[in-house]
Amino acid sequence: MEFLNPAALFGLLALPLLLLPYLIRRKPRRVIFSSLLLLLEAGDQATSRRWGKIHLPWILFLQLLLLALLIFALSEPVFSVRPTHIAIILDNSASMQTLEDGKTRFALAQEKTRALIDEVGITGKIDLYLTTPRLEKLGATPLASTDAAGAIAALEAYDLGEPPIDFGDALNQMAREHKYERVYLFTDHPARGQSAIARVISIGQPTANLALSGFEVLRSSLIDTRLDATLEVTNFSNQDEKIRIAVKNSGNNVIASRELLVAAGKTAATSFDGIADHPYYQAEIEARDALMLDNRRFAVAPRSRKLRILGISPRPKELASLKAIPGVQIDVIAPGEYENAERSGYGLEIFHFAAPAALPRTPALFVLPPQSSSLVDLAAPASNLSVSNWREPHVLTRYVNFSLFRPTYARPLKPQTAGENIIESSNGPLAFAVERQGVRYLTLGFDPLPYLGRENLPMSIFTLNFLDWFFASGLGSQATGEPIALGAIRPGDLITTPKGEKLSLKVGYDYFSGTFHQGIYQRSRGYERELMARNLRDTNESDLRAPAPIELRGGAASTAGTSALFSFWPYLLLASLVLLLIEWFVNPRMAGWGFSSKRLRYGRQS
Amino acid sequence: MLPNPFTPAFLTQLETLRLRTRKEFLGSHPGSYSSPRRGTSLEFADYRRYTPGDDLRYLDWGIYARSDRLYVKLFREEVDLFAYVFIDASASMGFPSREAKFLPASHVALALAYVVLANHDHVKLHLLQDQSRASPFYRGRRRMADCVSFATAALPGGALDLAASLNDHLQRLRRPGKAILISDFLMPAAAYQKGLNLLRSFNLDIAAIQMLSRQEVDPRFPNGSLALIDSESQREINYKWNSNARRDYQARLAHHNLELKSFCHQSGIHYSLYVNDRDLSDFIFATLPAIGLFK
Repeated sequence: MEFLNPAALFGLLALPLLLLPYLIRRKPRRVIFSSLLLLLEAGDQATSRRWGKIHLPWILFLQLLLLALLIFALSEPVFSVRPTHIAIILDNSASMQTLEDGKTRFALAQEKTRALIDEVGITGKIDLYLTTPRLEKLGATPLASTDAAGAIAALEAYDLGEPPIDFGDALNQMAREHKYERVYLFTDHPARGQSAIARVISIGQPTANLALSGFEVLRSSLIDTRLDATLEVTNFSNQDEKIRIAVKNSGNNVIASRELLVAAGKTAATSFDGIADHPYYQAEIEARDALMLDNRRFAVAPRSRKLRILGISPRPKELASLKAIPGVQIDVIAPGEYENAERSGYGLEIFHFAAPAALPRTPALFVLPPQSSSLVDLAAPASNLSVSNWREPHVLTRYVNFSLFRPTYARPLKPQTAGENIIESSNGPLAFAVERQGVRYLTLGFDPLPYLGRENLPMSIFTLNFLDWFFASGLGSQATGEPIALGAIRPGDLITTPKGEKLSLKVGYDYFSGTFHQGIYQRSRGYERELMARNLRDTNESDLRAPAPIELRGGAASTAGTSALFSFWPYLLLASLVLLLIEWFVNPRMAGWGFSSKRLRYGRQS
Repeated sequence: MLPNPFTPAFLTQLETLRLRTRKEFLGSHPGSYSSPRRGTSLEFADYRRYTPGDDLRYLDWGIYARSDRLYVKLFREEVDLFAYVFIDASASMGFPSREAKFLPASHVALALAYVVLANHDHVKLHLLQDQSRASPFYRGRRRMADCVSFATAALPGGALDLAASLNDHLQRLRRPGKAILISDFLMPAAAYQKGLNLLRSFNLDIAAIQMLSRQEVDPRFPNGSLALIDSESQREINYKWNSNARRDYQARLAHHNLELKSFCHQSGIHYSLYVNDRDLSDFIFATLPAIGLFK
């Protein structure tokens, strides 16, 4: 027998409270009488003992039985039949790495699943699911219990946030679709409500936590050599914390550190200016809390000042003017050469009066493309268009004086996809930005080239801005789970994960999506090395104070042949009602409970 | 200011009464009560042979005519009365309240005292308590106010040992007379018998008035367990009260009262029971004369 709502059984502890009214009622009313002479002669009815003989009426036992039955019914007892086909869902999100008495919540969940598998028996079939990066079954066929135990032992928690799943619905749906007799979810979220089929086994207790919620290393400007590190620390606790933050270089040496006071429930930010150039950086807070994962963050240094650009233009001279910008290296080819050109190693492709057949896998700028693309359509040309609106604040528009920004020739854009209109004219957008899977694309309806420097200051500033915007993309860090755009892959290309695994990249793949762990991923292309940082960016995982409860809804009617549970609490409720009726008939006087224990003089209070 | 029941009409009625004594006492002044001594009242007592010097006015000439012998008529001496009113002022007399039991008792005592005062006799009030208190002798109607102030100022309290308390008062008593004891007599038979016998030993003509409240005669406790506390001893007992218990109690009270009445009858003591809800006039003018307390 099992209880769907075992918490109600604690109500049994309150049963002795039912005695209280009787004990209070037994406490006699104190009455002063002139003389007890004649009363003392009645030996059998008078007693000088304080409490007298304990005498409990039989109605008390009826009431005790009634209450016990009600509590029993509230706990929803069910006779369980040993299930033969179950689903086990393991929450493998980042918060499951929280330590509980020296073990992670995920390890505790694994232990509990082993006990559950033993219950199922050797004939049972088990489907295993993980919640991150998405709720997904492991393996195509159900596992035998012995295989399932091994499979569960090999699992690990990811450094990922949970996908937005309504588990209340998801569990019921799974039970319906796959005909599971029971669906178990092992998670660190509490459960509310109950369901006959779906069970949530909650692991862990609410706890305070500190998290390094932001870490970026950026150049002060495109051509500046100095690096600045900005950090954010969030305090998910109820008391202020003073902690030390350290920034380490790729050699694990501390290059900057500082103490920071973070108020309870708040985020505090700090920055370190002028840090030395290193391949990557690691920031740490010296906090000994339950979740160590979010005490560290990684960032790679911005790319070197050598900004390699591939220009595709019928007018190479105008594109070549970008060489005037310090650090910019540009190779210009004709549009016809693009398909066969060696495009690896370039951080930006500028299509000047040209367009590729398909969107490139590297960041790209499209200047007045000759035909419509999947990003934009082009409107009719116009001259001396004035800018009517622009995005602010934005890297592309900073420092630009738009009253002086007036392209002599422009073709307003008609966006064909979701993106941002950065600059708008009365006839339509003039600059449209799109970011797809971490790759930035910018389409301009005017020509900012040639780069004239001080001679056309608004346009020159805009040019520097878009170079900054392009070369800042993909820098710093991205969230775990975000794929790494691979670009052109050559045989022998490798990617090294933070755990040191070297994975060969297969030709034809555009993205590497296995970024489930926080740290530095290294893309090796021959002798070239490219570093990318991935960090946990889900504050819900770091906030361990009060995880959102999972709302279970009853009536998860499994379509399995036989239900694993036989619920008999309605019969208990019926029995309680019958007892209540008997009690009502036998003892209709419910009034008079709880007398005043004041000392009374007969006829009036003393 | 006289208490409520003592209206002019009531007082006038009281003035018509006289205490009756079944004993002769030696008075201090001429009065209306017969004395064992011969005197000059109108009540004939005896004859005595004439001796020279006797007042010729008392010679019975009729006897002389028939027997040729000289006899003088002797008359009773009529003296004043000393009345002692003992009021039980123990804690039980304050149940259910002083106003409900002790004051009615003191009103009875005051009515009797007024009867004495109206006849120009002497009355002394005694409070039976832990610490004995007694008024001086009062005489004359004008002392009624003193009686009232003495009796009504008393507060019932404490436990009472009737014999010991009476003995304390009687030790200072110099003249025999009429003793009226007003009490609830809610004490063991041996205790009240000892007290009343003590009064008898002082050659007093005794009247016992038992004062009970309606709540004592017919208690109406709520049914169930009660912790009953004795008002005098503060002893506490648990008692399961129900209709049977009430009947038992009333039977025991009736038996107790009968025992008291029987003892009084055997001892030549006037006895009467006064329950506080009864009209005082009715009790004074109907019951007390019926038991022979008044002439």
